[in-house]
Amino acid sequence: QEAFAWKMTNAYSPSSPFYVEGPGSPTDFCKKVAAMSDGRLTIQHFAAGELIPALEGFDAVRDGTVEMNAANAYFWAGKLPAAQYFTTVPFGLNFQGMNAWLYHGGGMELWDELYAPLGVKALPMGNTGVQMTGWFRKPIESIDDFKDLKMRIPGLAGKVYAALGVDVKLLPGGEIFPALERGVIDAAEFVGPYQDRRLGLQNAAKYYYTTGWHEPSNATELLINKVAWESLPDDLKAIVQVAAMACNLESHTWCEANNAAALKDLVENHGVQANVLPADVVARLKEVTDQILAEGAAADPATKKVHDAFMAFKAEHDQWSAISERPYHNSLAG
Amino acid sequence: MARLLLSLADGASSAVRIIGQIAAWSGLVLVLTVAFNVLARYFFSYGSVALQEAEWHLMGVGALFGMSYGLNQGAEVRVDVVYDRLPRRLQVFVEVLGNLLLFAVAVLIAWLSARYVQSSYAINEGSPDPGGLPMRYLLKAAMPVAFVLLAVQALARAAADIGRHLAPIPVAPSGEAESLI
Amino acid sequence: MPITEILALCMIGAFFVMLLAGIPVAVCLAVTGFVFGYAGFGPTLFNLVPARIFGVVTNYTLLALPLFIFMGIMLERSKIAEELLEVIGLAMGGLRGGMAMAIIFVGVLMGAASGVVGATVVTVGLIALGPIINRGYDKGVATGVICASGTLGQIIPPSLVLILLADIMGESVGTLFAAALLPGLLLSGLFIAYVLFLGIFSPQKVPAIPADERAVYSGADLAGKLVKVVLPPIFLIVLVLGSIIGGVAAPTEAASMGAFGSVALAYFSGRLTFDVLRDTVRSAFVTSAMVFFILILAQPFGLAFRGLGGERLVQDAFTFVPGGMDGQILFLMLILFVLGFFLEWIEISYIALPLFLPIFAQAGVDMAWIAILVAVNLQTSFLTPPFGWALFFLKGVAPPSIATMDIYRGVVSFIALQLIGLALVFLFPALATWLPGTIGW
Ligand code: NA
Ligand code: NA
Repeated sequence: QEAFAWKMTNAYSPSSPFYVEGPGSPTDFCKKVAAMSDGRLTIQHFAAGELIPALEGFDAVRDGTVEMNAANAYFWAGKLPAAQYFTTVPFGLNFQGMNAWLYHGGGMELWDELYAPLGVKALPMGNTGVQMTGWFRKPIESIDDFKDLKMRIPGLAGKVYAALGVDVKLLPGGEIFPALERGVIDAAEFVGPYQDRRLGLQNAAKYYYTTGWHEPSNATELLINKVAWESLPDDLKAIVQVAAMACNLESHTWCEANNAAALKDLVENHGVQANVLPADVVARLKEVTDQILAEGAAADPATKKVHDAFMAFKAEHDQWSAISERPYHNSLAG
Repeated sequence: MARLLLSLADGASSAVRIIGQIAAWSGLVLVLTVAFNVLARYFFSYGSVALQEAEWHLMGVGALFGMSYGLNQGAEVRVDVVYDRLPRRLQVFVEVLGNLLLFAVAVLIAWLSARYVQSSYAINEGSPDPGGLPMRYLLKAAMPVAFVLLAVQALARAAADIGRHLAPIPVAPSGEAESLI
Repeated sequence: MPITEILALCMIGAFFVMLLAGIPVAVCLAVTGFVFGYAGFGPTLFNLVPARIFGVVTNYTLLALPLFIFMGIMLERSKIAEELLEVIGLAMGGLRGGMAMAIIFVGVLMGAASGVVGATVVTVGLIALGPIINRGYDKGVATGVICASGTLGQIIPPSLVLILLADIMGESVGTLFAAALLPGLLLSGLFIAYVLFLGIFSPQKVPAIPADERAVYSGADLAGKLVKVVLPPIFLIVLVLGSIIGGVAAPTEAASMGAFGSVALAYFSGRLTFDVLRDTVRSAFVTSAMVFFILILAQPFGLAFRGLGGERLVQDAFTFVPGGMDGQILFLMLILFVLGFFLEWIEISYIALPLFLPIFAQAGVDMAWIAILVAVNLQTSFLTPPFGWALFFLKGVAPPSIATMDIYRGVVSFIALQLIGLALVFLFPALATWLPGTIGW
């Protein structure tokens, strides 16, 4: 039987928990595939900077120099604006809803359709679950507190905040701490309690807001070169699909467990105040988000197609969760 | 023959020099852009994603076009522990060899990066951040252009060395007349 | 040993041979990378070279490089730096090594403003090398003190190296910044002690300004002159450091305050003509280009080393290490030091660290302490001939009278000092762990 030796690049730095190392991470995916295929498909993993810079994985997979890349699809928003829908949508779907859409609501078919002309395909391979709004040096009590607030916030959410008067600052991960600590920025968004604690953000700001309206879930993307994919026999294809699905579940459960412990530590030992954003602030954010998503859809036919499909699924799914999950969370749990 | 080689080399070097002298101003624009972004944010809470991206766009263009201009101005770094003790003829040989190797490398990278630009152009790549600078392929296109310039400059230097070696008659030093760019 | 690993060794060998023959550094890196990479894995992986180059020239954290270089050239052109060093030398009176100590002091301050080694070495080299050579300093001591002071920037926070290490080692950036402060000051102290030592035992290498020249100035004259020339550079340092501490600018942006301030300074001192500005712009461009030229053409080499599985050479060696945690830490230090002779620090970090980290983490060793040991060690690798980035960068801005050998000779004693500093942090872990623990970072 033919053996395959592939390479996978990653948009995240070596030893980043969840994104590189740990249960359900991309390196874990490579181990799982090697074990399940009894070594017939081995994938050598390269973290960001080892072979190529963080955000060059898409092009490398596209021209087949490496067979796989691990990242988030919204990093490719400059190449394919519609790609961001396959990572997260502000006020969109949580972990359950997103996976329901991807696996059974036509999401993965749309993803493949979007990527096919570029010779790549994608599979979901992980999820952080709901993220946090971010770290603020001062409490947010009303919508006016966003005026002239300097915040590190990349992507679509940055555009929403900018519409509320936030001054958006782009900063690489390593500079968030010094900038927030000295007040160059007043607020910063990163991931969730476990990852944020690792950057030491609790030493720079004490107000930790939730819930992550901008990222109600966040999918890790496994990008695969299509020619390489077609060259795999069916059993290896199945192994890749199953391993990606296993990592999707395992990474999420790992985040759930670790975020719980990290949040407890932040609140009890680091004087962090975890708060929910005021309701009127959230309402205004949602208003602007809807408007910006609609603008994006109007500007690009591919985005419109994905947007409409996503929203149609969400509308239906919301009705179901309104009588299933929501009452459970609101009145039965805790 | 030697004269032809020398005048060709001189023409190519002059072209590289003039392009470099224009590109050099990107450094001042960079200083002003970053300073403006800092001060406008601090004093007026004004920030623009496009202007923040302009910072590393300017650095990228400057770094790439700086290579050929740096070579033109003799700014390449070498270890001279042995080189300084070599006889003049051998030094010329090392010099010509170095420039021919650089020419080959620059052509190769220019060719590799042309493909890289092509795949960016094919999908009209822009910034992944809303409000960022569009047409990222233009920035990427600076790579093949800069490496072609580098190849031209490397070849010009090799030609000049060979030309001077073939015709060791004193040639008036060129390139001292600075233009006012 | 697999053929690819043999090729990796040959690549390093060929690089050294070409380097010694006098082929420019950048050309040696690119040519050996392409040739041996092609022999080992064919043409495919080279499709990644443009992505790597694009990554270098658009790397946000490298912005400090052109900005500080601009500031340095402006200071040099407007003679501000030269006067400063002169006056400090005069003010130090008969104390030998005064100008060298001033350079170390400037290195510490610039280090506290920037984390990019090339930026500090080039800037300090530009403004200080000429003046102290003119003052009769030994070329080796002069270049050594500049290279060593310039690399202080990567251990004194903020620093690119520490940010990358925090990322790789899973420590918070703040913890490592705090942990690095005392070791950074310790190294600066060792450098100053060495200069004082030279002043006593080799006075001709670090001469004080001659007494008759000093006698021209009265105490009051000197005090006036001191104020006049010290104020402008202090103003720039306050601008850069103050903008970081005052929360005006992020560390990388802060360099722009210095560059912008240097233009303002030249303007207000009436020295800003169009000719000065044009010359500054052009020479800053050439100097930045010198640094980027090496960084850009180093990309095929790094890619080939990876593609050929060069990191497995390190893994193979690791299996021979005798047991014991101290043995393994010392071996890590040795590996970093040796790799530092021919690889860039980013590649070194990626190759050596992932190999050792799981072992240390499992044994419960303080990772902040390990990170600082690694950072001091990497700092040494900037200085080790023949492939020390600091050496190349200084060579790039040094006057022709300075030979590579002068620089090699000069850095040897500073490498020894760095190793002493490393040994101290190894023997007294509290140097690294005390401050972060005390301030709760
Ligand atoms: Na520093
Ligand atoms: Na070195």
